[in-house]
Amino acid sequence: MASSTPRPPARRAGVLGLTALTLVGLTACGTPGGTAPAGGESPSGAISTELPTEDTTLTLLHTDTSGTIEALAEGFEKEHENITVDLQYTAGDSYNTSLDLTLGSDSAPDLAMLNMLGNTAKAGLLRPLDPYAEAYGWEDTVPTSQLDQWRAEDTGTLGSGTLWAAPAGFSLVGVYYNTELAASLGIEQPTTLDEFEAALQKAKDAGAVPLQQPNQGGQSSYVFQALTNNFQDPALSTEWAFGAPGSTIVSDAGTQAATTLAAWAAAGYIPESSNGTDGSGAVAEFVKGDSLFMLDGNWDATTVDEAMPGTAGFFTLPGTTPDAPSVGVGTSLALAIPAGAEHPDVAAAFLDYLTTPEAAAIEFANGYMPVAHADQVEAPEDSILADYLVAWDKVAQSNGLTPYFNNSTTTMNDTLTSQGQQLVVGRVTPQQYVEALQADWDKAHQ
Amino acid sequence: MTLSSPARTEQATGPAATPSGVRRPGGRRRPRRAATVRGRRRRVAYLYLLPALLLYVVFEVVPWVRTVELSFYEWDGVTPGTWAGLANYREVLSDPRLTGSLLHALGFVGFYTVLPIAAGLVLSAVVGRHRRTGSSGLARTILFLPQVVPLVAVGVTWRWMYAEDGTINQLLRAVGLGGVTRAWLGDFTWAYVAVGFVGSWVMLGLCLVVFLSGIQKIDPALYEAARIDGAGAVREFTAVTLPGLRPEIGVAVTVTVIAALASFDVVYVTTGGGPGDATMVPGVLIYRLAFTAGQVGTACALAVVLSLIIALVVLAIGRLTKEPS
Repeated sequence: MASSTPRPPARRAGVLGLTALTLVGLTACGTPGGTAPAGGESPSGAISTELPTEDTTLTLLHTDTSGTIEALAEGFEKEHENITVDLQYTAGDSYNTSLDLTLGSDSAPDLAMLNMLGNTAKAGLLRPLDPYAEAYGWEDTVPTSQLDQWRAEDTGTLGSGTLWAAPAGFSLVGVYYNTELAASLGIEQPTTLDEFEAALQKAKDAGAVPLQQPNQGGQSSYVFQALTNNFQDPALSTEWAFGAPGSTIVSDAGTQAATTLAAWAAAGYIPESSNGTDGSGAVAEFVKGDSLFMLDGNWDATTVDEAMPGTAGFFTLPGTTPDAPSVGVGTSLALAIPAGAEHPDVAAAFLDYLTTPEAAAIEFANGYMPVAHADQVEAPEDSILADYLVAWDKVAQSNGLTPYFNNSTTTMNDTLTSQGQQLVVGRVTPQQYVEALQADWDKAHQ
Repeated sequence: MTLSSPARTEQATGPAATPSGVRRPGGRRRPRRAATVRGRRRRVAYLYLLPALLLYVVFEVVPWVRTVELSFYEWDGVTPGTWAGLANYREVLSDPRLTGSLLHALGFVGFYTVLPIAAGLVLSAVVGRHRRTGSSGLARTILFLPQVVPLVAVGVTWRWMYAEDGTINQLLRAVGLGGVTRAWLGDFTWAYVAVGFVGSWVMLGLCLVVFLSGIQKIDPALYEAARIDGAGAVREFTAVTLPGLRPEIGVAVTVTVIAALASFDVVYVTTGGGPGDATMVPGVLIYRLAFTAGQVGTACALAVVLSLIIALVVLAIGRLTKEPS
């Protein structure tokens, strides 16, 4: 027992304390973070689109489990025989927490996957990509709403300014639906939000689950964002997600979206168990066949295809009118060149490869929406991906991809989760919900 | 983690101090002429202490001191930080989310400490009796199991069991209680209790290990004497087993209370603090604040407050369970 040990005599404690202090003094004292490299200065200098002829190894740090990065690396190696891509994988959570430290170390990789810009760019850990974007002409091949997701101003505002990363394939969130169940209920693919709500009610009357929705990880935020996009100019959603000064979610559109989400939950359209159901649990329920809709991203497309081939469809949540522009929620796998990269030019050539038709086919085959040349890829037979391509094309044409609200601040995902779980059971009002989101946003952006 | 360091302090210095002669009963000063001899012996003693002390200082004291230091800064973990004074501590003590998490941790003491110790005492008495009358190695192995399985695996398994279609609900439906089924971890009323029970289950294994080994040390003659005096199983438990297990109960209370207050793994894996903030504990918040939110200073302040609370509670437990000399 701890307390049965006698208290150490004062002198011994003194020695202990002295040793401790000496060591602390030797190791780390003073202002934290003072040793961060460069401190906001990012390297710039002459760039080249010429590739070396000698054997070169490109190190790439990533956390992708879909196989996309791996397949892209293979494709790139095939085109450039003297270049080897050395992939270094780290699993999810620990990747994000250790990334900044790795990038700041002496052994920074040549390319690193980013999940969000966060502080990484501000801390001077990345190399600006604008010179490469200009040299390779990425602005002509990649839709602006997709490239702009990885721009940031010096003030921290996202969506414009310096380009810090390049996309390697996009995610897209929208409505999965069971085409067989829809047909048997006499429901056609809705073209307006009213029709969508009518379909929800019809499914409920028939005893089916209208909207299978996980919320243990806060996925109700997708519903909220998809609705918000429909109640206002999607550009406003994008601004809020990017933290543009002065933008707010405590607006008519935001409140209306939260009210609609709460009403859907209260009406029983969303299962009562949603707060205790995780993403894979909801997919498992959906493929059982008695759920009409599920709001989900393309990361589950392959699973759904395997379980219900040819009977699953996809569309982005329809707007208030049939001719409303197509809006989607999504972002990209993105790769950045660390400031300390050894071969930045080769790394940029890899990023350029991501915009080619060959890369588009690889990205799509692994479940991601292609960066460019979407018109040149083909969906496999009986796959939900055929619908995905149609929806992606419409979104790209209306330049309507809005980045996830979840990434608008480092804590927004936690706030959306906690608040969303309370909203669907009526523990907070729609007004309190949007105010809590805005409070988080204000803390980070003002 | 630096959280448990206060409890470990004395463990590390205690045993090593014994051979040096520092720990002696009475504690009265020796005559002056022995002082030089004692001084030399003491220096030699420190030499013996050095390797352990060095490791301890580098891996326990330095991180802890650094944690305290960081708690006075506003720092995102990457860019240079700024001095924040006591602002982080003010936030810890005033933000309802942070104070709420501390209350949740205190509430877990009921699940992590009271329940498993009560159940562990009864079970170990039963298993202990069987050991004396005839062996039951299998039963013991099964009862130890919770302590053997890694906590993350425990969390994942219970998460499935608590799900809408999980084992718990299947059992409830099988006995005609289909009406009370729910996704337990998503229910604002029940999620806290559900997570608490996972803690009880895990700690039960630990309590059993400790109590069973304690029972083995109790003189069998005492049980024999009790039986000759006509004591039944219950009387035997209260008169022999319970007093004999006093030190073990002290250990179990200390360890389980620390586990309750510093809980992280089970909560993080099962609910992540949700639904809402219904199961949020300081352990999860510290991790989130430091690694996702980039509020390292606040995280450190919360860690310091938490470790102070733990140190105080452990100190109090030590006083209460101290053997009367």
